[in-house]
Amino acid sequence: MSAKRIRLLIWKEFVQLSRDPLLLRLLLIMPVLQLILFGYVVGADVKNLPTAIVDLDRSAVSRRLGQSFSSSGYFRVDARPGDERELQAMLDRGDVAVAIVIPEGTAARLDRGETASLGIVVDGADSKTASVASGYAAQIVSDYNQKRIAEQGIDLAGPGLDARVRVMFNPTLEAVNTMIPGLMATILMISMMSIMAQSVVRERERGTLEQMFVTPIGRGEYLIGKVTPYVMVAIAQMLLVALVGRYWFHVPFYGQISVVFVGLLLFMFTAIGLGLLVSLVSRTRQQAQQTVMFILIPTMVLSGFIFPIESMPAPVVPLTYIIPLRYALIVLRGAFIKGSGFSALAAPLLAMAAFSAVVFGIAVSRFSKRLAD
Amino acid sequence: MTNQVAISVRALTKRFGDFTAVDAVDFDVKRGEIFGFLGPNGSGKTTTIRMLTGTIAPNSGSAVVLGDDVVATPERVKRRIGYMSQKFSLFEDMTVDENLRFYAGVYDLTPEQFERQRAYVLEMADLVGRERELTSNLSVGWKQRLALGAATIHEPELLFLDEPTSGVDPTARRQFWDLLYDLAARGVTLFVTTHYMDEASHCHRLAFMYRGRLIAVGTPDEIRHNRMRERVLEIEADDVDGVLAWLESAEGIREAYLSGALLHAVVANAPKEEGHAADRLAARLRAAGFAISSVRPVDPTIEDVFVHLVTRERDEAEVPS
Repeated sequence: MSAKRIRLLIWKEFVQLSRDPLLLRLLLIMPVLQLILFGYVVGADVKNLPTAIVDLDRSAVSRRLGQSFSSSGYFRVDARPGDERELQAMLDRGDVAVAIVIPEGTAARLDRGETASLGIVVDGADSKTASVASGYAAQIVSDYNQKRIAEQGIDLAGPGLDARVRVMFNPTLEAVNTMIPGLMATILMISMMSIMAQSVVRERERGTLEQMFVTPIGRGEYLIGKVTPYVMVAIAQMLLVALVGRYWFHVPFYGQISVVFVGLLLFMFTAIGLGLLVSLVSRTRQQAQQTVMFILIPTMVLSGFIFPIESMPAPVVPLTYIIPLRYALIVLRGAFIKGSGFSALAAPLLAMAAFSAVVFGIAVSRFSKRLAD
Repeated sequence: MTNQVAISVRALTKRFGDFTAVDAVDFDVKRGEIFGFLGPNGSGKTTTIRMLTGTIAPNSGSAVVLGDDVVATPERVKRRIGYMSQKFSLFEDMTVDENLRFYAGVYDLTPEQFERQRAYVLEMADLVGRERELTSNLSVGWKQRLALGAATIHEPELLFLDEPTSGVDPTARRQFWDLLYDLAARGVTLFVTTHYMDEASHCHRLAFMYRGRLIAVGTPDEIRHNRMRERVLEIEADDVDGVLAWLESAEGIREAYLSGALLHAVVANAPKEEGHAADRLAARLRAAGFAISSVRPVDPTIEDVFVHLVTRERDEAEVPS
């Protein structure tokens, strides 16, 4: 190992990177673009939900409740059918995604100091919308109760409106807050895997790989020289995502930086290893790109990045355990949202360590062997 | 110095699975000589070079390069050899200067050595004033010379060239060989693979490789005169394709192939001393209805010997013994 040769290889890689302004721009624009896309698309789909209110009570209470829903910004009251029976058809057609039923006698029950039930029906076709919408609805109802308590000075433990939905954790920004830590890991994986694969395959296509191994450059030197520049790029990407997430989307960060750092580091080795493995099975850069896509699609679907693992069919769930991104998501989301530390995240961190040791180890040994054949 | 051996190979063997790419090959290359390594594609030339440069390890046999065992101590050998492949292996997205700087750094040249070698390479490759140009913008001849410059920036004692002139026009090929002669004149040993037969005659000694085995080693003259017992007849005809088709199925014709615009045929059982073979073949061709301008015996070219040896090898392989 010669530090001088490694420095030379790193210099070479940066010179080449600077000659590819498109790639460089992509590497920095892609994360921001994805952030904005995911951040806003996820943020937008729970706003202005088409809503129907069936007010069977026709009281001051029910009107005020309806007002709270329509002025919240999350629900757009499109219809006020006079009868519950019309709701089914409206939900079936997708005219509305949420229906709120205020039963007859709600105001009277509250006045008597009893608990009044409120029916909230959410279109379950989109599980994400459904869960977020129920969260908002519950929030509005609980706000209403609080106001009522404040106005009337009723005992806190006393009865009120019971929205038949469970209050979700962190309802207002839940989607964005889980999305952005997830995006950090996803972007890390996409960019490291594809750049590593592309850059090694390009070197082989052009014959420069073969040329370098006739010189005193060792395989270890080559690998370090190749990986280091892209690790630096990845760190820049992660910082960018973290800053945009923190200061633009106001994602709270409750955890320890060190947990995030260790998680991303372990995951990075897995991604680099995967990239190297892709470079070994691909003869051309197009093939490499296709192979990367081939790995990314199940990763996106099965990791829990887009679809919650809890809502997957039981036979699919065991498959998620072989997706490295799954563990990275648990670690990053845990650290960001719940402030989980090393002890709480020991299991997924260990899984990530095992993945990176196995994937990176196999990749490096296959790579050396391939060069020796 | 000239009697010293640059490369000494004994029973060198490389297998890829069931396929034996290089099969117990023996040869020696003297210092300062231009050694031509010939053979069709897939005959094992590149695999041999990769073993000699320490890139891959042989399954068995030994290879001593510049006095060091390349299998045991590839690192010692790598500093003293250069290598240039047919791809010219330059970093296309780096400038001329950056390419040279990279390879100079790899071989740990001092700044003074680098300045001197850089000036020499730029002069040699005719790239003075174009140092900051991207390598991808250079045309093939310049790329080839720059690749040679990059491969020799550390002044190697031995240079491996794997089909260095493939895809290069004839003028540039001739210029390139002039550069190779310059290197040889400075005492650099050159190990060149090529499939251009005219280039083979530029070499001091030749080795023919076929299906992983060496089928002939010698100087171009030795190969032309000692390796072939049969007569080569050169045929000038109007309908070259028709005559070739006829010859290929004719009795007593061992080999027939195009040589430029003419046809070469090797006649079985026609020793060189016998002069009637040409007349007899001309008569047979005319009897078959072809318009023949001339049939005359010629000295075998290196290509003739090569075709002959390959045909003989192939025939022997097909006849069960």
